[in-house]
Amino acid sequence: MLDNLPVLSLITFTPLAGALLVLLLPGARTNWLRITAIIFTVIPLLLSLWLFASYQPSLGGGEYAEHSTWLQIPLNIEFFNPGEVSTLRLEFDYNLAVDGISMPMVLLTSIISVMSVLASVHIRKRWKTYYFLFLLLLTGIYGVFLARDLILFFVFFEVTLIPMFFLIGIWGYYDREKAATRFLIYNGLGSAAMLLSFLIIIATLGFSTTDGMNLAFSGNYDVLLSNLADPNAFANVDSANSRYLGIFLSDNARWTAFVLLLIAFGIKIPIFPFHTWMLKVHTEAPPAVVMIHSGILLKMGVYGLIRFVLFLFPDQMHSWATTLAVFGVINILYGAILACVQRDFKLVLAYSSISHMGIVLLGIASFEEVGLQGAIFQSVSHGLISALLFLIVGSLYERTNTTQLSELGGLAKTLPFMSGILLIAGLASLGLPGLSGFVGEFLSFMGLFGSMKILTAIGVLGILFAAVYVLRSILNMTYGPMPETFANLKDARFVEAFPMITLAAFIVLLGVYPSILTDLMQHGFNGLLEQIQTRMGG
Amino acid sequence: MSTFFAEHAWLVPVFPFAAFAILTAMGKGLKRTGAWIGTIATFASFVLSLCIAAERLAGNSPDYSNQFEWIQVGSLQLHAGFEVTNLSTLMLVVVTLVGFLVNLYSQGYMKNDERISTFFAYVALFTSSMLALVLSDNLLTFYIFWELVGVCSFLLVGFWYQKPEAKAAAKKAFIVTRIGDLGLLIALLLLFWYMPGHALDFTALHNVFDTQSGTISEGITTLIALLIFLGAVGKSGQFPLHVWLPDAMEGPTPISALIHAATMVAAGVFLVARTFDIFEASQVAMTTVAIIGAFTAIFAATIGLAQNDIKRILAYSTVSQLGYMMLALGVGSVTGAMFHLFTHAFFKALLFLGAGSVIHSVHTQDIREMGGLGKKMKITAWTFGLGALALSGIPPFSGFWSKDAILTAALDDQPILFIVGAIAAFFTALYMARLYFLVFMGKPREGQHAKESPSVMTIPLIVLAILATVSGFVETPFNGWFGHWLTGDETEHGASGLVMVVSAAVGLLGLYIGWLMYVKGSIRRDAVSSRAPGLVTLLERKYYIDELYHWLFVKPLHGLGKALELFDEYVVDGIVRLSGYTVSGIGRLNSRLQNGQVQAYALTALIGIVILILAIAGRRFW
Repeated sequence: MLDNLPVLSLITFTPLAGALLVLLLPGARTNWLRITAIIFTVIPLLLSLWLFASYQPSLGGGEYAEHSTWLQIPLNIEFFNPGEVSTLRLEFDYNLAVDGISMPMVLLTSIISVMSVLASVHIRKRWKTYYFLFLLLLTGIYGVFLARDLILFFVFFEVTLIPMFFLIGIWGYYDREKAATRFLIYNGLGSAAMLLSFLIIIATLGFSTTDGMNLAFSGNYDVLLSNLADPNAFANVDSANSRYLGIFLSDNARWTAFVLLLIAFGIKIPIFPFHTWMLKVHTEAPPAVVMIHSGILLKMGVYGLIRFVLFLFPDQMHSWATTLAVFGVINILYGAILACVQRDFKLVLAYSSISHMGIVLLGIASFEEVGLQGAIFQSVSHGLISALLFLIVGSLYERTNTTQLSELGGLAKTLPFMSGILLIAGLASLGLPGLSGFVGEFLSFMGLFGSMKILTAIGVLGILFAAVYVLRSILNMTYGPMPETFANLKDARFVEAFPMITLAAFIVLLGVYPSILTDLMQHGFNGLLEQIQTRMGG
Repeated sequence: MSTFFAEHAWLVPVFPFAAFAILTAMGKGLKRTGAWIGTIATFASFVLSLCIAAERLAGNSPDYSNQFEWIQVGSLQLHAGFEVTNLSTLMLVVVTLVGFLVNLYSQGYMKNDERISTFFAYVALFTSSMLALVLSDNLLTFYIFWELVGVCSFLLVGFWYQKPEAKAAAKKAFIVTRIGDLGLLIALLLLFWYMPGHALDFTALHNVFDTQSGTISEGITTLIALLIFLGAVGKSGQFPLHVWLPDAMEGPTPISALIHAATMVAAGVFLVARTFDIFEASQVAMTTVAIIGAFTAIFAATIGLAQNDIKRILAYSTVSQLGYMMLALGVGSVTGAMFHLFTHAFFKALLFLGAGSVIHSVHTQDIREMGGLGKKMKITAWTFGLGALALSGIPPFSGFWSKDAILTAALDDQPILFIVGAIAAFFTALYMARLYFLVFMGKPREGQHAKESPSVMTIPLIVLAILATVSGFVETPFNGWFGHWLTGDETEHGASGLVMVVSAAVGLLGLYIGWLMYVKGSIRRDAVSSRAPGLVTLLERKYYIDELYHWLFVKPLHGLGKALELFDEYVVDGIVRLSGYTVSGIGRLNSRLQNGQVQAYALTALIGIVILILAIAGRRFW
């Protein structure tokens, strides 16, 4: 039925269509705006569920791919000898594809975005602008996870920044503007680093020619990968008498591009010491936006790290594996210990995110299939868990007007449902088996343990601290005596309860039946890891 | 030779899980119907467990196991599965029987609690997880359910969530046992990487460590065994991780009986027994287990002497008795450990439920505020008395036989361990005598209108009292049936007249001194406290271990957290802000014409990136 449609494009651009439609609607009609936004986030959800169901990884990842030429920029060929070259151009393709690494991310995005749009019920002003930006942001995110061209990826990546800047700056809490600018500075720096690195890559690895006369620099990911694997590709041949001087990707250039990308995605993840911006966003942005931010946007960093750093620069990555693992362990422990002493629940969650993203780094540093799957699993799981936690934070704040731990207490009495869900989310966050968090952590640790035993063992300490900060904060809020002022609070309404139950259900599902995700990823790394290993061996 | 029931053993945990699901879904509307759903489900599990046991007793059925793929990663698979062996069958019966009796008892004990259906839901989830843990055929599945029983314990300790003490105790229980869990987790990782074929199932562990010893080096074997033991230490409340168990008494008393006496805390012992081949392959590990066990046995018994809360005395007693089980394992006697686990489950559950009956009646837990209850609560007093005799190791009650098995094994291995065990047995009898005589004998307190509990509570007491009395006869020095059935080993322990005499004598002596002190009065009650007040305070304060941990771990961690917070705020973020100001200062200079914020920051970003490129690229190229 859908086989003949460009599903990937539909997923990516449906929210954009929704955004444009929102612009046409009268701004006072809150319900219309809201329903439009819901519809245009539910459609990508249905499409990605369909994609998930019909995606047959055993048939190869290329089954769902869309390709067309997007930009062709002719370049000056005057400095070649006449007749030597007939055309020279930059080629940027509109290239979308899904594989075992993108698929989990797309699913995650589609699920969390629907829950987040439902949670946007707490947004109190300028609905039209809000939903417009929200939908625009989604297009950017889907694009990031589906794009297979460096420039296209970069464009989508930038598209996420601008709506996010305004979403934080307009609808956030007291210190929202500072948080928004902090967000922009850091991510702007990251983007600049990324762009520079991408240019280096396109200018070398992207160079190809079919007949020696028509030359092109391409950002197409497939071209990059095939050039990378081909020992005779121009970028890999260091010879002074090569016809195309300057195309060779020297070791130094590789390292530069590698480090730049590492910084770009490291800021996004975030890796210590680049994390302070994200604390601000966690505390100042409206909870519905933090659901997207913590649930999905941070995962763009992980995705980029795997897609572009690991797969394009495996040798550099491999020689830095220990460094990466050390940073992972720092993230885990630094985040966890700081989470133990926070007084604001949102900051507990922010530091806990840093800690959990550290586990992702361990999985990636492992260079084992188990670890890489663990890293992605952990990303998805953390996305669901932190989205759920911030969903609850949003609903709680509506009622109590505070997220300070010292001002909360005994909420289980008046809010038994929300407290129960909060406890489930907390237990998932501290890695209780049977819930998704455990699987991701376990696979990541398992992967890294093969090569770095001591580091892993130190990292495992993080799950002890996780128990401390999760129980300390959550029991502080829901257990103990209840302040008088909370005596008349009402438990979750349906519109709040529905996304809570849905997210909790996914967390349980992944915890009990992880194969649903791991089978998918199976075919994401298969070929690529082998490729890396053969090249590193050779 | 049939395995019909064994093949359906997976149903045993499913029944209570179904009850949990129903209770959770239907919520509070069920009230007391919910209690019955939980009770009936546990009863169904009990019947099925009995059928499995009968099947295995009838003929020498082969062990039955079944597994399915849980996660596949590349060529390697992680399995989930269950296995029915004699060891797991024994545990099934114990867990479902005590579980059923506790369910029944709770119908009375929790009758007026408005969250009764939540209570039964948690209990059902616990029972289900515990049964699944017992049935697990590999260490990963085992670990999963090991954590789940832990979280159920946490939920139930904190069941009365509005009490600050319950909140603190629940948190402590979870965090302290998690220290042990880390050990188990790392052991799991080690096994995963060192075992041939990444196998984690118990059969493969047995094969590698027992029959193909040498596959894994001795150092690694010791490390694995010690890490597994760390897990057991946490769960089974062994020194130095025992601190959570006495505090866990903040939970409802039936929970203390089920989770913190009979079943979950014994899971550590079960774990060591299940992976015993790894321990046997390492002498260091065995010695450690024996020493920790013996030390915990005597250490906790002495604390029990000076406590005044009826449940805490029993809690320290549990810690001490678990120490005996560990001691048995350390000296190589799986039979002794499992036998004591078996009898202890009955008599300790009995004692806790009896204590619950008392608390239910007089609404206090302080034994100094009780007295003369024997006359008013005849069934409770009688059954409690039988339990106390069994715990004190008085022949012919069950505790005597199992303790005898342990002491015999200890004497064979290392006489000093035997002496420690015997002294601990003396203290055990003494604190039980003190407890019993203060509560049930003497003059009734004025204003206390104690009356016997309803029959839904006393029937479980009677059943457990019978079991506490007779269950020891399955394994006596004259009849090694239990040990043979459990381990397939014919001659695990022979009769030792000396041990029997010493064991009975120290028990009787303890009771006698208690009687002299607390009934007859010929030894003054403050005989010790007046002469060595420091010693008594030391015991009352539990050797100041909690305080020690507070200063050793909690405070430094908090301090570290605060220091890092300052570091994060002023150093990490400070550098960011500083560079931000510098760059935006330059930016402002250069962009007076631009007044929009976004542009300013875009420029900032650009300049920043140039600096960054120079810093990085520059170092590489030049």
